Amino acid sequence: MLPQVLFSGLALGSIYGLVALGFALVFKATDVLNFAQGMFVVVGAFLAVTAGTQLHLPFALTLMFIVVAAALIGAAIQALLIRPLTGRSMLSIIMVTIALSIVLRALIEIIFGPQPRALTTPMPTGVFIVEGVRISQLHMLAAGVSWLCLGLFALFFRFTTFGLQMRATANGHEAALVSGINVDFVNRVAWAIGSVLAAIGGLFLAQLQLASTELEGIGLLALPAVVIGGLQSIPGAIIGGLLVGLIEQLASSYVSPRSADIFVYTLLLLVLMVRPWGLFGQRELGRV
Amino acid sequence: MGMWGIRVGPVLGLAAGLLLGASPLAFAASESPADGVYADHIDWGVIMDLSGPTSASQAVWTAGIKDYIRKVDDAGGINGRKINLLVEDERFDASLDRIAFEKLTGQTPVLGISGMGNASAQVALASTIRRGKVPVLGSYTTTKAVTEPPTPMFYGGFCGYKEMAQVGVGALTERLKLAAPKVVTVHLDTAGGKEYADFVNAAAMRHGGSSKAVPIKANAADATAQVLEIIASKPDFVAVHGTATTPVLLMRAMQQYGLPTPVFGMAYIGTPIVYNSLPPEAGSRYSFVSCFTPGGTDDSAGMKAMTESADKFGHSAMKDDINYVAGWVIGQLVTEAIAKAGPDVTREKLVAMLSKGFSIDTKGLSAPVSYTPEDHSGIALLKPFGFDYATKRFTGSGTYDEARKYEQ
Repeated sequence: MLPQVLFSGLALGSIYGLVALGFALVFKATDVLNFAQGMFVVVGAFLAVTAGTQLHLPFALTLMFIVVAAALIGAAIQALLIRPLTGRSMLSIIMVTIALSIVLRALIEIIFGPQPRALTTPMPTGVFIVEGVRISQLHMLAAGVSWLCLGLFALFFRFTTFGLQMRATANGHEAALVSGINVDFVNRVAWAIGSVLAAIGGLFLAQLQLASTELEGIGLLALPAVVIGGLQSIPGAIIGGLLVGLIEQLASSYVSPRSADIFVYTLLLLVLMVRPWGLFGQRELGRV
Repeated sequence: MGMWGIRVGPVLGLAAGLLLGASPLAFAASESPADGVYADHIDWGVIMDLSGPTSASQAVWTAGIKDYIRKVDDAGGINGRKINLLVEDERFDASLDRIAFEKLTGQTPVLGISGMGNASAQVALASTIRRGKVPVLGSYTTTKAVTEPPTPMFYGGFCGYKEMAQVGVGALTERLKLAAPKVVTVHLDTAGGKEYADFVNAAAMRHGGSSKAVPIKANAADATAQVLEIIASKPDFVAVHGTATTPVLLMRAMQQYGLPTPVFGMAYIGTPIVYNSLPPEAGSRYSFVSCFTPGGTDDSAGMKAMTESADKFGHSAMKDDINYVAGWVIGQLVTEAIAKAGPDVTREKLVAMLSKGFSIDTKGLSAPVSYTPEDHSGIALLKPFGFDYATKRFTGSGTYDEARKYEQ
């Protein structure tokens, strides 16, 4: 039983990690705690329903539609809602993201109605059996895509000029501006990428269960994941996601489903008390 | 000229004027604004979750009741009065239920209230409902707190948990020819879920069998833990309590593990979305028990009328959903109760009429809906339903009356 539970936890955690990666990326680049990230997961699920189930687009086009539409939505939100608040307090911006989440939920319910939608895609639904452990092909795919995204972003940040500009912006907006970096554009791209990552998470979650606004709750598990891993850390977001997935599955299997929240948030509290910058984050030092 | 030398024309004119003038006065006399009854309309309250975790089913129920009321209003209303539904969104939050209930009983008074699909809120408000003056007619969920003992202020409107458990266990035990059924109940980790698991256990024990309760979170993304528990328990069949995502997650995970165990769900989760989300080989092992007949199952008169209205009001996609049918039936229940209470209806008269016993004929849309002075649950009979993937239609097994044998 244990290997099976561990594998399911890692697979589920990979999806949480993907959503957490988007959350961390936005925070790293723009210093904004985006509480609408869970609703971006829902938006991704309904973009998939629109393209795949309603417009009957081929799967490759469905994927392109999700990526492009989610990127445009993320960029538009940054331009219309976040940018005008530059220089305002963190609380104001957090309130905007909470309001955004409520507005997105209402819009989705108006457009798609109250009923959940079934997502039909050609993603695999079978299983591999390895040493008696049943491995869901969909879980494998979700984990694979998550790790691919992690790898691509690691390379992007490490080896591309734009990745370097994003890192520079994250380290200090003023210094980046003085260096000639278009900080506003960098922020917009960060929001677009964060939105796309959440939308891909939404695609997998909708395939695992149903496309509904209730996916927001699952998407918001990215929040403890990213805090545990370290708000500023890209690998930390992924590993935080994996930890949350593992804890959830182990607690559900060996204690009770409800206890999963207790274990996840106890770890969150412990991390905040002992290592507030997260397991993989960097401690910020201020000179006075 | 008349016999006393008075011109008849003006007198007749005055008499006619008095008569005409008196008619609005007569209407005004039958008004009872404190009860939500006015000359041209009656206010009726609905409290349901329209944007919370159970909105996927409760908003569909609300669409059903709205459509029935609209159909009645389009035909002229009841005794010349239209029915005005005041719908309150409680977001599955008991505190909002209380606010909505207070509002509909005092601030914007209504003649009666339907819905109240939050079991926890219903239990919390039970004493208020029992002591109050506003009848709850056609609830979406029915708890013991408001029905045992019955109160003249509460009348259920959905299949009971106990009956769902009894019919589900009984029908599968018979179909699988089991001497002592071994059951696993996968249920939401809530008070209602635990109550349902207890009813399944009692039903299994009645057949000489046993059951094990396995909880699952409402917003679970995976059912591996539950399926591993099912594998360990080796049940003859599985009972499910939850939202639409619960059977979807469970059946998919069971398929992943190659488990062919039959599964039955409660009425709330006998919806097209569940079957459409499952491949036929998994969906064909899933059945549900219900006291309402899902759209498209047969060609009864009630089904035809509901289908016609759903298409007319733009709700064609909802008519196969059991929750829409339930809302529609409660719309009929409410309007017929108001009509039977008479043209001078008040809360008091409505309660007096209901408490003596009342029934409606849904013309095939549900099991009999009937209240007696001793039993206010309303709908007692259920039967099993499945889904035919070839015809994309729901299929019922036998009649509601035949399933009576499974109930204690």
